[in-house]
Amino acid sequence: MLTANNLYFNYPTSRPVLKAINLELKPGNIYGLFGKNGEGKSTLIKIMTGLLFPKAGNCTFKGKPTQKRGPELLQDIFLIPEEFELPSVSIKAFEYINSVFYPSFSKEQFYGLLEEFQLQPRQLISTLSFGQKKKVLIAFGIATNTQLLLMDEPTNGLDIPSKSQFRKVMASSVDEGKCIVVSTHQVRDLHSLINHVMILNNAQVIFDHSLDQVTQALWFGRASNQEEVIYSEGAFGGKSLLQRTDQDESEVDLELLFNGVLHETQKINQLIDKKGHGSKV
Amino acid sequence: MDFDNSKPIYLQIVDFFYENILVKEWQEGTRIPSVREVAMMVEVNPNTAIRAFNHLQDLEVIYNKRGIGYFVSDNGYTKVLEIKRREFLEQNLPDVFKKMGLLGISFEQLKNAYNQHKNEKK
Amino acid sequence: MVQRFDFNRVRQFVKRDLILLRGTFSTGIFVAIILVFLFCLFNMMWDKQLGLEEFYGIFALVYLPLGLLFTFSLFREFGNPKTNALYLALPVSSLERLVAKWLVSTLVYTIVFSVVALLIAILALIFGIVLFGADFNVPTLFSTSYINIVAIYLFVQPVFMVGAMSFSKNKIGKTLLSLGIALLCFLLLNFLLYAMFNHSLGVFAEDGLGSVAFGKASTQFSIFGQWFYGLIFGPLMLVVAYFKMVEKEV
Repeated sequence: MLTANNLYFNYPTSRPVLKAINLELKPGNIYGLFGKNGEGKSTLIKIMTGLLFPKAGNCTFKGKPTQKRGPELLQDIFLIPEEFELPSVSIKAFEYINSVFYPSFSKEQFYGLLEEFQLQPRQLISTLSFGQKKKVLIAFGIATNTQLLLMDEPTNGLDIPSKSQFRKVMASSVDEGKCIVVSTHQVRDLHSLINHVMILNNAQVIFDHSLDQVTQALWFGRASNQEEVIYSEGAFGGKSLLQRTDQDESEVDLELLFNGVLHETQKINQLIDKKGHGSKV
Repeated sequence: MDFDNSKPIYLQIVDFFYENILVKEWQEGTRIPSVREVAMMVEVNPNTAIRAFNHLQDLEVIYNKRGIGYFVSDNGYTKVLEIKRREFLEQNLPDVFKKMGLLGISFEQLKNAYNQHKNEKK
Repeated sequence: MVQRFDFNRVRQFVKRDLILLRGTFSTGIFVAIILVFLFCLFNMMWDKQLGLEEFYGIFALVYLPLGLLFTFSLFREFGNPKTNALYLALPVSSLERLVAKWLVSTLVYTIVFSVVALLIAILALIFGIVLFGADFNVPTLFSTSYINIVAIYLFVQPVFMVGAMSFSKNKIGKTLLSLGIALLCFLLLNFLLYAMFNHSLGVFAEDGLGSVAFGKASTQFSIFGQWFYGLIFGPLMLVVAYFKMVEKEV
């Protein structure tokens, strides 16, 4: 659906922010785009939306370059930026002036989500807190029903109950035809939602695998034999990442995976690739 | 729902189903929440929820009526009981035995503790 | 890539701008009402009448600066890094965006302002008649002076549109500065062209810096010159604005 081909990007007079990025996003998935702060997650997402232009390579959506910003493409992309300002009108007016541009927009869904988020349509956006404004935008973004929904740090500014609401709302809004990309450095907030992990580090994509692939190849838990441990943290070998051999499937500990990949990039990728080729999934 | 860190989430959802069936919250032959509803309830990716549904369908605990939804099988309760009993005997008990060995607890002591527990309940 | 131009989207976009800027718009109109009213009234204090040309003078004095200010406020959403991501990601083509902005800042603005100015002038006239016994004459918009004023606005406004899109801070000041520099350059160019074509006619024969040549260069425009500069300030600037829109990154 969305493809990045050997993509390069840098801001004027800065070091490269993205180098040789190759990606392919497929519908039906929730992608987690992880990376430390300032590793180009927001930049990549803006390129995907056509708001920044790659310096080399290209980024296409349904075969067309996103930087053209054609309405027929933008009708199927919605971006929830990390930082934004909304106009000082009521939530209802905000919906009224913007929803007309999205052919698949569902008013019913939007007002349903507002209710879920405990917001009233008559409220003036300027009187809301940042977290509430974010909820308005999340609700709007989901209700546009675009094929591609890009969220940059959506849980930033949300309090703990709101994060739970957010996960509920997300769980209800995915379907076969939709592709959602969530960029975050707060890996924990979303662990039960995403099913594909991409990790950006040093301006490159160093990890791009589905969680199914990860669970096939790796095992997370308390290691009985320290020699098999690929990466571990915490006292007493509490949290360890090792190659899965005959163990039962374990739940992926995203935080551990993220830190493990940053330390042992090659080793982990090799294990997953080997498993992938071996079982011919 | 809080997740145990080691067990795959789909299996934890399966456990959540077992519990509802065992306490008769979900009666045999009745309709259970849809994939989407379950995904929302436990805040997971619907794909994960689907995996739990498929797992339970394979074990014939639930069945799918096309276009209507999922239902607890007519012998669902017995099935779950069977599964959970086997799980207890094959997984939980060996753990208990292992710990007993480690701590030097005899079978007599266990029996006494069991009887005491039973009497307290009465 | 050929993009279908959808007029319905333009219409929705105009509506969006008007709703978002209704505060600015109503404040502007309010200021316009007060200014036009006061100017008309003061004007009548002198000669007890509001001549048609005097009315147009007042009209232009308020209409042009207010329109340019309005143009700048229209591009606030485009320039603010916290709002332009949402603005640029709306499924509307660059051409449609620009057409919408242009329609709001020229057509909609001109119609609204003209009607308001006319009504206020009539109101001021009634006050004038009552207060100072001014002569009665009906101000009208059907004249070449009116068309000239609107034409000047249409040709100058795109320059300010480009200015509003190009600069991120002190937009108005920078635009005026660039415009001043550009005008100076054109004046020089004019002078050179004039000198080249007319030196045989002896315009430099006189004293000083060829005062006749200089004077003519700055005041007289040949038909060709009018077209030349009209083209630079009007349509060409619209084209520039279009590419600014296409190439905008956040």
